[in-house]
Amino acid sequence: MTMISVSTDNFQPVATDSPVKVDIRNLDFFYGDFRALKNINLGLAQNRVTAFIGPSGCGKSTLLRVLNRMYDLYPGQRAAGDVLLDGRNILDPREDINLLRARVGMVFQKPTPFPMTIYDNISFGIKLYEKLPKSELDGRVEAALKGAALWKEVKDKLGASGLSLSGGQQQRLCIARTVAIRPEVILFDEPCSALDPISTAKIEELIDELKNQYTIAIVTHNMQQAARVSDFTAFMYLGDLIEFGETSRMFTSPEKRETQDYITGRFG
Amino acid sequence: MSEHTVKAYDAELDLIGAKIAEMGGIAEKMLVDAMDALGRLDIDLAQRVLMSDPRLDALQREIEDQVVRTIIRRQPMAIDLRELMASIHIAGDLERTGDLAKNIAKRAIKVADDPRVMRAVVGLKHMAEVAAMQLKDVLDAYAQRDIERAKAVWTRDADLDALEDSIFRDLLTFMMEDPRNISFCTHLLFCAKNLERVGDHATNIAEKVNFMVTGQSLPMNRPKGD
Amino acid sequence: MNPIYASRRRKNVIIRALCYFAAAFGLSFLGLILFTLFWNGLAGLGLSVFTQMTPPPGSNTGGLANAIAGSLVITIIGVALGAPLGMLAGTYLAEYGRHEKLTTVIRFINDILLSAPSIVIGLFVYVTIVLPMGGFSGFAGSLALAVIVIPVVVRTTEDMLLLVPNPLREAAAALGMPRSLVIKRVAYRAARAGLITGVLLATARVAGETAPLLFTALNNQFWNLNMTGTVANLPVTINNFVQSPYDFWRQLAWTGALIITLSVLTLNVIARVLGRERNTQ
Repeated sequence: MTMISVSTDNFQPVATDSPVKVDIRNLDFFYGDFRALKNINLGLAQNRVTAFIGPSGCGKSTLLRVLNRMYDLYPGQRAAGDVLLDGRNILDPREDINLLRARVGMVFQKPTPFPMTIYDNISFGIKLYEKLPKSELDGRVEAALKGAALWKEVKDKLGASGLSLSGGQQQRLCIARTVAIRPEVILFDEPCSALDPISTAKIEELIDELKNQYTIAIVTHNMQQAARVSDFTAFMYLGDLIEFGETSRMFTSPEKRETQDYITGRFG
Repeated sequence: MSEHTVKAYDAELDLIGAKIAEMGGIAEKMLVDAMDALGRLDIDLAQRVLMSDPRLDALQREIEDQVVRTIIRRQPMAIDLRELMASIHIAGDLERTGDLAKNIAKRAIKVADDPRVMRAVVGLKHMAEVAAMQLKDVLDAYAQRDIERAKAVWTRDADLDALEDSIFRDLLTFMMEDPRNISFCTHLLFCAKNLERVGDHATNIAEKVNFMVTGQSLPMNRPKGD
Repeated sequence: MNPIYASRRRKNVIIRALCYFAAAFGLSFLGLILFTLFWNGLAGLGLSVFTQMTPPPGSNTGGLANAIAGSLVITIIGVALGAPLGMLAGTYLAEYGRHEKLTTVIRFINDILLSAPSIVIGLFVYVTIVLPMGGFSGFAGSLALAVIVIPVVVRTTEDMLLLVPNPLREAAAALGMPRSLVIKRVAYRAARAGLITGVLLATARVAGETAPLLFTALNNQFWNLNMTGTVANLPVTINNFVQSPYDFWRQLAWTGALIITLSVLTLNVIARVLGRERNTQ
């Protein structure tokens, strides 16, 4: 039997060369009076995948929703601190939320195709900010579908409803939709939790390709998934960032007891 | 270490630990018996050593199977992953240790026909004691997750290397004194080599124990005796 | 058999029998009404009903053409006034004002309006429109119907929009879509079938209303689609004819009732079909 020798000496610092794309500083978050995030400090490296893990209610999804200010849709939710995207604080009230969201895309837990054709699902987002001739728009839709590894499956039925696709295809349609508007950062909020293993593998493969062009953050309950797709992993618990580091180290020899207990299934 | 949420997971790890301990016990006994057999030219004892080996091989297989099943079922992470990886390595080292003891026993049977310079065995016995001590220490270190003890074993391996050197010189002298000693001494030379290899396996185990507990590897360059 | 289980089974049989009986009881009355309606209404149903005006007293020839046309126009204008208002209000409740305190208040008031007797609404329009304007008018009738349509559409619009899953809105917003577009292009589209169903049901609801029209559009024996004057309409015509001493009038009343019932039934069936489409999407 051939064994994989796991030795910390062999870990190359994966991304010390990558600049920080999103810098989160002293971030607090409140649902009304409840403090859901406590003084979070961490950076998302450019063209790298950063995974957020932790038990339910630890604040990982909340953190993700700060990064595109999704929480702004709801009254009573507010963030304090700084989130710098390329050095600019996106929490600034003067920041245009819609323009921000065009730069920071998001893919959700359940596939959410719009009730329209496959083509429209993708062209819709492009048309929000760009006025393109039909031919060019067609090209962008095709490129986005190819980017989401969906083109081959749908190229003959672009006029079909987005809802007619399978769950995995719908999720890739949502990724295509996000990619189509050319964001810089893509946030994945448990993107595979409603998918079967094959669809999951396709999405993971996709994430691996997407990181060449985008900075990616992913929230997942599946630790193996975090280990597979991410370069960096952040473990959160009860609103605190417990440990943050290279994924390879986090899953073989975490420094903090809480991290170890969580990832080995010794929790609570 | 607190328990897993899934109790069966703990049971699986405990079972693997118990099998490692059993392997360690068998390997230790085989080594000591083989040396006694060599020292007393006791063929019966040597035969018993040979008969212990299949059990050791079987245990190694069981451990490998159990580790694979646990990996499939639990997708182990962190300490658990390291423990399982260490188990499979340690089981391999102990199985090899058994083979080396077996080899010494075989040679004991061979030299019993024509024993020559029995005083040459004295140095070898001393070396065997050191090797056995290394093995015992490292198994204790494994059982108690004691990295200090493991590191001590790892450092002390240099002593065994030095002992092998001196035995080599002694045996060379005996062989030059009387060419009829050559066959007997060559067997002893191989035995010395075997004991040195036992020490190496003990060192390997020490490294795995250290990695298992700390997640860090020991430096690549170990102090060498030669 | 276990005595607890046996008694549970006994109870189950009894309750189920009671349920069947209650359902049969209600259905038999519905069947009776429909049967009487068809029995009496079909007898007078002919082409002349749709082509001839309502007959003068004593005449044995005539139809319901003016009443049918008037009803159509009054209802269409009423729905055209009430439905957009109701949809806008419903949109506010479900989308913009979802977390506001005001929404709870509006919803409560809307529910009261929803269950307000239609005669009260007729009186209200009579006092606020008919009296100051100096006379009954088809327009006032449409207004009265619009007041009935609004709460129904507000309610269905809000319910339908609330059924649109929130992640869909978030997904749209995550593309950088402004709120108004999220509602117009995504939420409305997702709830489209439900919204249309709501309007159709509201239409069905007002198509047969008599009381509000008595105080507003009144009635007219002649062909008149001028909304500033009294306009003939089916419900009031039926109401008048059925109380008359003339057999021919009473026959026409039955036929008119059948026509209203059939159109309402059709609207309901269309609404159901649309609703089913939405569910299977």
